[in-house]
Amino acid sequence: MKKLISLLLCLTMLLTLSSMAMAEDTRVHITFSFWGDETEAQSVQANLDAFNASQDRIFVEPMQIPNEEYTSTLVSYAIADQLPDCGMVNENAVLYFARNGVMADVSTMYEGEALQPMDCITFKDAGVPVGYSSCNEILILYYNKDMFDAAGEPYPSADKPYTWDEFIAVSKRLTLDENGLHPDDEGFNPEKIVQYGCFVNNWTWQLEVWALSNGGAWFSEDGKECLINSPEAIESIQKVADLALVHHVAPLNVIPEDNGVGVGIGSGAVAMTTDGTWRLGTDFPTLGINYGIAPLPVMKQEVTSCTSGLTGVFAGKHQAEAYEFVKWYTREESSWDSLVLTGIWMPKSEYYYTEEGMKEWLGNDAYPFKDIETAKKVLVDYTMNYAKPACWYFTPNTQITTNEILFTALQPVWSGEKTAEEAINGIYEEMVEAISME
Amino acid sequence: MEKVIKRKSKYNKAESRAAYICMLPSVIGLVCITYLPMIASFALSLFSWNGLGNMKFIGFDNYVKLFTNDSKFYGSLLSTLKYAGLSVLGCMIFSLIVAMLLNRKIPARGFFRGVFYLPYVLPAMAVYLGWKWLFDYNYGFLNYVITMAGGNRIKFLDDSLMVTPSLALIAVWLSGNLIVIFLAGLQNVPRVYHEAAEVDGANGFHRLIHITIPCMTPIIFYNLLMSLVTNLQVITPALSLTKGGPGTGSYYMCYMLYNKAFNSHQYGYGSAIAVILFILIAIFTAILFSTSNGWIFYEGDDKE
Repeated sequence: MKKLISLLLCLTMLLTLSSMAMAEDTRVHITFSFWGDETEAQSVQANLDAFNASQDRIFVEPMQIPNEEYTSTLVSYAIADQLPDCGMVNENAVLYFARNGVMADVSTMYEGEALQPMDCITFKDAGVPVGYSSCNEILILYYNKDMFDAAGEPYPSADKPYTWDEFIAVSKRLTLDENGLHPDDEGFNPEKIVQYGCFVNNWTWQLEVWALSNGGAWFSEDGKECLINSPEAIESIQKVADLALVHHVAPLNVIPEDNGVGVGIGSGAVAMTTDGTWRLGTDFPTLGINYGIAPLPVMKQEVTSCTSGLTGVFAGKHQAEAYEFVKWYTREESSWDSLVLTGIWMPKSEYYYTEEGMKEWLGNDAYPFKDIETAKKVLVDYTMNYAKPACWYFTPNTQITTNEILFTALQPVWSGEKTAEEAINGIYEEMVEAISME
Repeated sequence: MEKVIKRKSKYNKAESRAAYICMLPSVIGLVCITYLPMIASFALSLFSWNGLGNMKFIGFDNYVKLFTNDSKFYGSLLSTLKYAGLSVLGCMIFSLIVAMLLNRKIPARGFFRGVFYLPYVLPAMAVYLGWKWLFDYNYGFLNYVITMAGGNRIKFLDDSLMVTPSLALIAVWLSGNLIVIFLAGLQNVPRVYHEAAEVDGANGFHRLIHITIPCMTPIIFYNLLMSLVTNLQVITPALSLTKGGPGTGSYYMCYMLYNKAFNSHQYGYGSAIAVILFILIAIFTAILFSTSNGWIFYEGDDKE
């Protein structure tokens, strides 16, 4: 009798298990790859849970890959034909993936939608849209209000940016050596500077904006020509290098870090720094400094760069399901609380840059930057009037040109061993060859 | 003689079978994860391939480009040789001296042996981050001390000529493993030679030159070879500290091949650099082996 009961129990268990398995099989399982730390992994998981609970046809599983080897890992999966169905993509890999057939066509994703992504954050290969950034980030100027107060210097204006010369002059008044002297004072000792006036982030992609500001460009708008050897582009690089080398108003930063805030204003030794708007959410809330924001200084014309990575659909057998998930995942609402209201992302749809739309995020109590008038001018108006896409939105092979060739070649310029002209002329041929590589 | 072998052959067969079976795992490992990838690397170096698109056979074009239209290749080659030269020389001299000091009967000898070995077991990233703070130009400790003493700041990592010596200094600081091997070698130098020399009136220096160093030559050779091969393949400091800069100052060949293959996705080009690095290491190893007969002293050797 006992045997019979246990046999029956076993049978029931097996049946339940198999029916559970069968029930799960009706959903299409897709994988979503992303980079980020544990906190980000938790917020991604929360989003996936919400999507998985919202319908019963698709089940999304996360795949976490370390940031440094993200793209190369995806490439190795692609070679092995094991790509995830969708995932985040670095800016410099979007065109590389799109041109090699890794990305599925998303050009109709927002057709007929009320919220349209802005044109300046649309990746285009020879003019055809191949992907939309997850958000919008622009470059702005951050400044430490306490340091300006101590120097008796008025704050940078939110709508009337410094000219480059004004920027240098203000930086000089904010730069101090150990005896309290400024760079133009007699007896100033550049070897013993205790406070720097400014720091212009020289991480390669953040430099392009200065070529545009100086009336030049790095690449032609169709992404086919390399213009970095134009006098305007070369002069803009030299001007940034001279802040440290000639004017002694900025710390030397020969081997750039992707964190101008960390080496600049965050260390408490620099009064103004340029960097991306995501720092409003990722760094400033924890830095504990009394800071303000302003548009970038202007060399010849007012301009800022915008950028952001994207979440893409990869070509594969579950393309339709991945497409549906990505469309859901990249709506502003899906990351509203975790990314937009924390200040890390600015919305990607034009609506949020209208009088009405901006109230929803800038006007929200949770938004970390409280001065809504300044935020309107520096984040919203600045984006709408002056933002231009960074070169990787329209230029192929930036993973070779800007990320590798230029990054290394410019270091002797930052250290003063070479002039910008020497450095650029030394690599121009290589850049031209790289840009046309398949 | 033939008979003896025949009689033993059954036993020999069984024994050699056992040997082959025992060797099998390591042979499979070597073939699959060393030799085959090496051959594949060479094959790949003849193609233009971005990882995702089609592979295009281009013969030796990658090599031609390396030597003709690459702004960084010669700089990279030079930096690699400079780094390997400086660190091998520095590590060998430093380790041998420290090992000889630690071999003397000094108080707290065990403690000091631990102290010099410690850097070697620390995690590399932590070591390089620590040194970064020492070397930093704007806020670093070393430059703080230098300016306090009235000197001008030194661009330890921010100057393309200074960066390799600075990184080689870290390599010397990290050479605890060489010290341990030297120490083991020193303890094997027969006491009788020293005693005999002392009786003959040789001082410490004479004994070093004529006894210690000759007896140590096999160990010196081993350490030299190992550290040369390791240092020619240097990549960690470039990855963690300098990103290959400034310019090609620390753009070592291993870093260059990593960068070309995995960051800019030029897999064929990266493989060509790997092949050249392999040939370079092979040449240096061959030179070292071909000269070794002339200067290595093996005990029990019948050579004069």
